[in-house]
Amino acid sequence: MASAKKTILGLDLNTWVFLLPALLFFAGYQLFPIVRVVWISFTDFKYLTNDPPNWVGFANYIEAVNDPLMWKSLGRAAYFTVLFLPGTIIFPLLLAVLVDRVRNAKVATVYRVILLIPAVIPSTLVFVLWKWMYNYQIGPINYFLVEIMEWFTYRNAPQWLGGTDLTLPSVAIMEIWWGLGYHSIFFLAGLAAIPKDLPEAARVDGANEWQVFWYVIRPRLQPIMMILVVLRFGTAMAVIDEYLIFGGFNRAHPTYTWTVFMYDQAFKTGLWRQGFAASIGMVGAVVMMIFVAYLVYIFRSKD
Amino acid sequence: MRKEQEIVFQNENREQLLEGKIDRREFMSKTLTAGLGLAGVGVAANFGSNSAQAGSHGRPLTPTFYQWIEDLHPSIPKVNSKFPGVNYQIAPVEGFGIERFVAEAKKRESTWDVYVGQTPFVEMTAMIEADVIEPWDNYIPKDVLDDMIPSIRDECTINGKLYGWPFLLDVVGSSYHSGITSKAGLPDDSPSTWGEYLARSQQVVDSGAAQFGATFDARGWRSLAPFTHSLSSDCYTSEGLFDFTGDAAIEALMLMKNIMRDSNPDILLAGTSDGGMNGTPDEVAFAAQRVGYYTKYQNAPLRMAQYWDNPDQLRLGPLPKFAGGEGSTVFWTTGAALFKHGKNKEKAAEYVKALTYDMQIWKDSLAGTSTGQPGQLPPYKSIYSNWASNKPGWLPDFVGLVRGQLDQAKCIDNHLFGLQQFIIGQSVWETYLKGEEKNPRVAMQNVVDAVHAEMKRG
Repeated sequence: MASAKKTILGLDLNTWVFLLPALLFFAGYQLFPIVRVVWISFTDFKYLTNDPPNWVGFANYIEAVNDPLMWKSLGRAAYFTVLFLPGTIIFPLLLAVLVDRVRNAKVATVYRVILLIPAVIPSTLVFVLWKWMYNYQIGPINYFLVEIMEWFTYRNAPQWLGGTDLTLPSVAIMEIWWGLGYHSIFFLAGLAAIPKDLPEAARVDGANEWQVFWYVIRPRLQPIMMILVVLRFGTAMAVIDEYLIFGGFNRAHPTYTWTVFMYDQAFKTGLWRQGFAASIGMVGAVVMMIFVAYLVYIFRSKD
Repeated sequence: MRKEQEIVFQNENREQLLEGKIDRREFMSKTLTAGLGLAGVGVAANFGSNSAQAGSHGRPLTPTFYQWIEDLHPSIPKVNSKFPGVNYQIAPVEGFGIERFVAEAKKRESTWDVYVGQTPFVEMTAMIEADVIEPWDNYIPKDVLDDMIPSIRDECTINGKLYGWPFLLDVVGSSYHSGITSKAGLPDDSPSTWGEYLARSQQVVDSGAAQFGATFDARGWRSLAPFTHSLSSDCYTSEGLFDFTGDAAIEALMLMKNIMRDSNPDILLAGTSDGGMNGTPDEVAFAAQRVGYYTKYQNAPLRMAQYWDNPDQLRLGPLPKFAGGEGSTVFWTTGAALFKHGKNKEKAAEYVKALTYDMQIWKDSLAGTSTGQPGQLPPYKSIYSNWASNKPGWLPDFVGLVRGQLDQAKCIDNHLFGLQQFIIGQSVWETYLKGEEKNPRVAMQNVVDAVHAEMKRG
């Protein structure tokens, strides 16, 4: 006769023992920081003072949503995301389809390795490289435009970085280049999972290569696209390192996004108003979550 | 002497006990050791106050330096060699970031004993507010204090206490590429007025001697403030903020716009390193020999000229004046801050004294080495008077010039927003420089509003 096992929330004790490490990790490493930031956002916590923080209710949130810089800086991040996200899908997908068609295994491996090179370069080197590439006076891009092609002079050549309209597109190009191989690998993995007889059958039925791609391959890559879009949407909206390096703290620059605004308030300005900075972060996070939900809806499986 | 050492040692033990660094058993045994007389003190001293290797607080003297200081002054390791066992480190600061220092101070601890890299107007007030640093007054020898140039001592003093031990002096002045200016048919001397400066700048461009006539660093403390001081250094409000709407600041802003007519078009963009603070477009233009005239602290043109075909073509001069202007400029020092929760404080003072009086560092800084010529000057009267009475062969002429400017120069007032006011304001006054706002007074009033709005937040 089997003895009745004691359960907690429908799970027996043995199960809880195995779950506990993961739960502790989740609570300590993910849940606690979020809860703490939420709590800070309701206080007047200033990091440079040793005064205990006071509960201020929604005052920080009211201040944040009424600050034009909050929405302007969110808009800048959204603009960058719009520039960047298509590049995480279109070019890597195209590249993956081309590499997938290489039949020589050794050559295909060489292509994959080459594709991954930018992804393994440390971020510092990537930033140094592109900052030099985009340099107004001594960068190779302007050298090409001014010295080789003579389309511009050094008085009217494009200013790629800093406070100009070209800044966010320039940063987006860098990011697309940086992630090209990494994103292509996602699609290559997706392509490898598609049975080879599916496109072959379509070809036998008279479909041309475009139709094979559009009606057979693309729908089966939809889950990969959703993962990429959702993941990269989050990282694109929350970019900060690149903006700090390429634009600094000039509030008029396109690189002064909500993340920089938050960092500026938390670690640079005045007594480091981290309560207010936390509310900026929470407002930004809520806006992002709304868009993520919409993206998940768009890319939902229609099978 | 023996008794004094015993008392110092016992006090240190007591402090460690109160801080929980040692337990009662260790306290008793150490105190007993200290009480054993000279032999005991000698044993303790091997681990303690006379050795950097094993500080009396259980760790060696641990200074931390802002990275660029080590890069520009390669003789620092030679000073370290005089302090056996010193735990020399590079500070976790970039673009004026002091987060780590503050975080440690909140826990009433510090990994380091002394931070070499503090610029008073930039971060000193914030470090005091956050209880990160303490004054040097109890540790700095009186003769050193009296040896400081008074204006520098003032710069490092808040409420009568010396929170910064000055080390490297920078003064904003002018410079020019004599190869370019002579090609433009201009005299080989520094323009004395801004009017002359602008006319010569235009002549450089018109003659085709260089692509750009003049340039400056767009950060307010490196251009707007010194240009303002050249008209009047009485440009700070009673609360210690820069008087953006004063006549002198308005004139300075208009001057910046006039200089920009013949400057490199990327002049307002961020720099390429250190959070956009360094590797700025003006430095790139000057290093690339594309500009004739340049205003910045002296170490910038000296460093950039190293990239020229002939670095000897660099000429330095004082900042030009406005007609009827005061002829002042801005200076600042980069120096050492004493961590309140650090250890080895007496040893830290000994170390900073050795560092700041080290003649090899000053020779390398001023005469240059294979790695560069930062040209940063010492903060002590005695060093200059020694050089005046017995001029070393390696001493370049610009030293007297820069030192001379210091007599007219003024530092930027210490304030929690001492640096931030310029960072916040830059995007606003640039609306005038870019032509988006026609009236400089309106632009500057907007700067004041923006700074006050931030200050109101706390």
